[in-house]
Formats: sequence, structure tokens, C-alpha cells
Amino acid sequence: MRKLGTALIVAAAAALFGWACFLVFTAPAEPPFDWRLRMSQADHDAIVATLNHLYTRAAYTVTWAIQVGYAAWICVRWQSQKQKLTS
Amino acid sequence: MTALAIPVVVHWVGQAFPMKKLAIGIYLLITAALLGWAYYQAIYVAPNDAAQGEMFRIIYYHVPSFSVCFVFFALSLLGSIGFLAFRHHHPDRAQISDALAVASAEVGVVFCTVGLVTGPLWARRAWGMWWTWDARLTTTLVLWLIYVSYLLLRRFAAGTQMQTLAAVLGIFGALDVPIVYMANRWWRTQHPAPVFGGDQNSGMDPTMVGALLWNMLAWFLWGVVILGFRYAVERRQQKIAAAEAEQALNG
Repeated sequence: MRKLGTALIVAAAAALFGWACFLVFTAPAEPPFDWRLRMSQADHDAIVATLNHLYTRAAYTVTWAIQVGYAAWICVRWQSQKQKLTS
Repeated sequence: MTALAIPVVVHWVGQAFPMKKLAIGIYLLITAALLGWAYYQAIYVAPNDAAQGEMFRIIYYHVPSFSVCFVFFALSLLGSIGFLAFRHHHPDRAQISDALAVASAEVGVVFCTVGLVTGPLWARRAWGMWWTWDARLTTTLVLWLIYVSYLLLRRFAAGTQMQTLAAVLGIFGALDVPIVYMANRWWRTQHPAPVFGGDQNSGMDPTMVGALLWNMLAWFLWGVVILGFRYAVERRQQKIAAAEAEQALNG
């Protein structure tokens, strides 16, 4: 049961990290420097808002990925110590 | 004096809580609830920043991570001093101090890593680049590298002197913490000026301060959970190592 719990925590950390990477690497391109020649102010603001939203979510997600990943690593160490103690 | 008192306090806490599992369960529940509440405050209650928009909300995870990281590096410093003070005459207390030093250094590195990852995500949007070699960022990276080298020393070095060398490195590493904190006060940096304790123009809107403080409290409580767990693993490891050494001596 505890091994399953540890495996779930490891999987959650990996999924969170993958999701954070996905958010950053699939974000739309930044508006070009001469965006005023190419798009309206409303379009520009919409792209900037989307990018801000995705990066903020990525920051929150990667925080949880690191924290949960570390907790998982401690769980794995705890399990391996237990195996040493019983053997 | 504080460093010398820590192993005694840790031992006393272990003795004083016979209903340890219940206490830990309640503490975990409070921590989980506070993390949820702090997240709600950061995402739904605090307003968008007028200049930066939604991206400003990264600060609610970035700043608490570094605050908790500094607290744990300070604890690691106390543990290292305690180990050096106790190593000759009180071996048990020295082992407790050493376990505290390595556990808090490791948890501190985790929080420092969070800060070093969330910072560039903000910088990419605010400055248009992931990283710049300004004083605040560089001293923070150096701090992270010092503590990673501390952990690598603990992991790969062997012999009786390893703990002593690690304690000395831990003490020198902690000297970088005040430099990191003061970097954007002493030098002109690309990193934003201090929000708290800066000049007369520093400060934060009261509607945002609440979210920041809730997140600081929640992440600190989470850090204590992780630290306690890591400390228990280290103490267990010390006991396994002692048993293996005794077995080797007895053949």
C-alpha cells in the first residue's frame, strides 16, 4: 500500500513537471517588436494576457512538481531504508 | 548558545509527544488546508498588478520560497555549529546536530531551486530574457551551488572527517545568505528593488500583502513537514550506518 502511495507521488510529480514544460513550450510566440504595424492593440493585449497566464500557471505547476518530487524522493529513501532494516 | 540548545530541544520534543501520530496528522491537515487557502488567496483574491498584470502572481510563490530557504539555511548553520561544538564530548548530540544540518540544507536547496526556476519564468515575461548576471541573481546561484556542493560532499565523500568538512562548508555557505539578501540594496541590479524594508517608495498594496503572508506561512509549514521527514530519514541512516560499522567490527 505504501509502495503504491510512493509510486503515485512520483507519478504526480512527473506529470506536474511535464505539464509545466508543456505550458511554456507550447505558448504562443511573443508579439514582434513592430507589432503596431501588424496587429491591433486588442490583439496584442490578448497575446500578452495569454502569455502571462501560461507563464504564471507554469510557475505554480513547476513549484508543486519540485516540492512533490522531493517528497517522493524522501518516500523512496524511507522505503529503501525499511528494506535494509528488514533484510 | 542557540546551536547548542537545538539537539536538546529536538530530543525533548520527541519525548514530550507520546501521541506523535495524531499530532503529525493534525499538523498535516492544517498545512494542507493552509496551502489550499494560500493558493486561493494568490490566484483568486489578490488583484492583478497594474503594470505586470497576472504575471505578478508569481511573486506569491517566488518570495515565500526564498524566505523559507533562508530560514532553513540558517537552521543548517546552527546544526553545523552544533556538530562542531559537540563532536568531541557529546557524540549523540553531535549526530542530532549533523542530521539537522544536512536535512535543513537539503530542504533549503529544494526551496532555493523553486525560487531559481520561478524567477526566470517571471523574468522571461518581464524582461524578455530568462537570466541576467546581476548581483542578486548571481549571488543566489552561488548560494545554490555552495549548498549543492555541500550535499554532494555528504553523498560521495567517506571517512571520519566528512561530517566535519561538511559542517565547515555549511558555515561558510550560510555567509552568502546575507549577501544575497542585501545584494539589491548594496548594488544596482536588474532584479526589482526590495518590496519590504527598502526605500520610502517600497511596499505593497494591502490587498496583496495578505496573499503573500498566507503563502509564506503555508510554505513554511510545508517546509517543516518535509524537514521533519528528511530529518527522520537521516537519523535512521545514522543508526543503520552505526549498526553496519558495529557488525563489521565484530566480524
